[in-house]
Amino acid sequence: MNNTKKRPLRLALTKGRLEKDTVALLEKIGYDCKALHEKGRKLILPVGDSIEAVLAKAADVITYVENGVCDMGVVGKDTIMEAGGKFFEVADLGFGRCRFALAGKKGGDFYQGYNVKTIATKYPNVARAFFEKKGMDVDIVKIEGSVELAPLLNLSDAIVDIVETGGTLKENGLEVYEEISPLSARLIVNRVSIKLRQHEIEALVKSIEANL
Amino acid sequence: MKRYDLITPEGTGDLLFEDCAIMRDTEKRLSDIFKSKGYCEIVTPGLEFYDLFNLNSNYFPQESMYKLTDNKGRLLVVRPDSTMPIARVAATRLRDMLLPLRMYYSQNVYRSRPGMRGRSDEIRQMGIELIGSGSRRADLEVITAAIEVLSSCDNDGFRFEIGDIGFFRELTAKLNVSDDIKENIRSLIEAKNYPALNDLLDGMGNNSITFALKQLPRLFGGEEVFERAKNLFNDEKIDKILSGLKNLYEELSELGYNGKITVDLGIANKMDYYTGVVMKGYIRGYGDSVLSGGRYNRLLSEFGYDVPATGFAVNIDAVSKLFKRSNSYKAAVPDIIVHCEDGYEMKGLLYADKLRKEKINAEYSVFETASETENYARSKGIKAVAYVSGTITHTTAN
Repeated sequence: MNNTKKRPLRLALTKGRLEKDTVALLEKIGYDCKALHEKGRKLILPVGDSIEAVLAKAADVITYVENGVCDMGVVGKDTIMEAGGKFFEVADLGFGRCRFALAGKKGGDFYQGYNVKTIATKYPNVARAFFEKKGMDVDIVKIEGSVELAPLLNLSDAIVDIVETGGTLKENGLEVYEEISPLSARLIVNRVSIKLRQHEIEALVKSIEANL
Repeated sequence: MKRYDLITPEGTGDLLFEDCAIMRDTEKRLSDIFKSKGYCEIVTPGLEFYDLFNLNSNYFPQESMYKLTDNKGRLLVVRPDSTMPIARVAATRLRDMLLPLRMYYSQNVYRSRPGMRGRSDEIRQMGIELIGSGSRRADLEVITAAIEVLSSCDNDGFRFEIGDIGFFRELTAKLNVSDDIKENIRSLIEAKNYPALNDLLDGMGNNSITFALKQLPRLFGGEEVFERAKNLFNDEKIDKILSGLKNLYEELSELGYNGKITVDLGIANKMDYYTGVVMKGYIRGYGDSVLSGGRYNRLLSEFGYDVPATGFAVNIDAVSKLFKRSNSYKAAVPDIIVHCEDGYEMKGLLYADKLRKEKINAEYSVFETASETENYARSKGIKAVAYVSGTITHTTAN
């Protein structure tokens, strides 16, 4: 039963770009990330002696950290805003920068008229919260793929989506109507782990903050 | 029409055999602790009026409660918490009773949560409430009871954390901003969201209050926390809160729980019925606190009975899980099965009873032939068979 003490800190990483940026950060601090470069199909990998990395999809990172099977996680603020949950959000890692925005056909006046507007999005909770704050009723349509299609096909009046450079919007004749929130990768920590393994976690957070 | 007759609703589940045994054991252990300290059990209804959970000093988000209506169309909820109903009872039926009141409970609470996150909507809880005393002694009694509960569940691995909600309240009271912004600050401190908290407070200028608030989420750990907090903000009320908490910490450490007691000055619950010392308990292998509670001196005045109170609740499902993992529980198998020949059914029943009186767990075989009984016993792992006819004989499997 003493395995909690000996087990390395488990860090859930969002697969893909955030994973690469996190690995670069860990290497900068001085962790041996060899296993992460040569991972093959493995999903649990050692990082030095004291950390174990778990590769997961963004929303799963939150689930694993929330349930305490991973002590920490690296996940985008977009996922945090969409999925919510109980955990500590201790550092803004600075990479993976982009923003949530309301966008639609170029030149359109979104707020004009009294008709209930339709919003297409991959992030229904974010969209709902945004319009709830404005006290505005909207119809939300969940789209899984390229959300930009919806206003072009006249399925929706606008979209709520992640915007990085705005290139995709521009090419499709769309523009940002309104910024919703800036986004970047965050370091999240389980609420019990931070207490039971305070010194290890604080030391890691400190060296991460020093290397941002 | 789609039928849902083979599954249970989301967030609920059946509890089988060894799970039940572990749960009942835990309940027994805890109720023995509570009874030995003079707490009396109370059971409140599973259904309560919605209004009970919609008071000024306590706020249950309406989407977190299961609701229904009674036959007069009034809004009911399935009990989401036991403290409010107990406060209601104390302020009404127990109003003329000698104080303090010591009560414990063991009942389910129901909270509707976003599905499929690995958390249950039905939570078995036990807890105590000590109503009618605002003294330090009452705090000490409840806190040591909480520690005793935790150590009885996970003696080596538990952690117990104390804090004082007053620390955060006094600091924000001095901040000249709207309630919305205060709530924003609170939620960032609660989420230990250092970067966002810093951004928000930076926009309010650099003064001693914003400086102290920025440190708040990091002020947790052992004794050193008091050192770090001491010079953070000079204020009589805050000094008093800190020294009270430090005293408490030292007294608890002297009990022999050194290293298991920690402090978190950044506890800032949304449940703002807490008014003073707050506590949380953790055990290994569960990703959330398993025990939580604290002082709630204003709650009962909402029912027109202005007395202080304190208490805590333990998540029985969570602590039971720890025992389940240790795997020492097996579903009970009877010691012997009693088979009777035709015409000797009553004699068999009486013989099984006789064995039970001798503390032997005896199962009565419902099979008509000896070979069916033997096959059944072998498959189930029952070690001995008793044959009842004119005579009684025993065989024991190897």
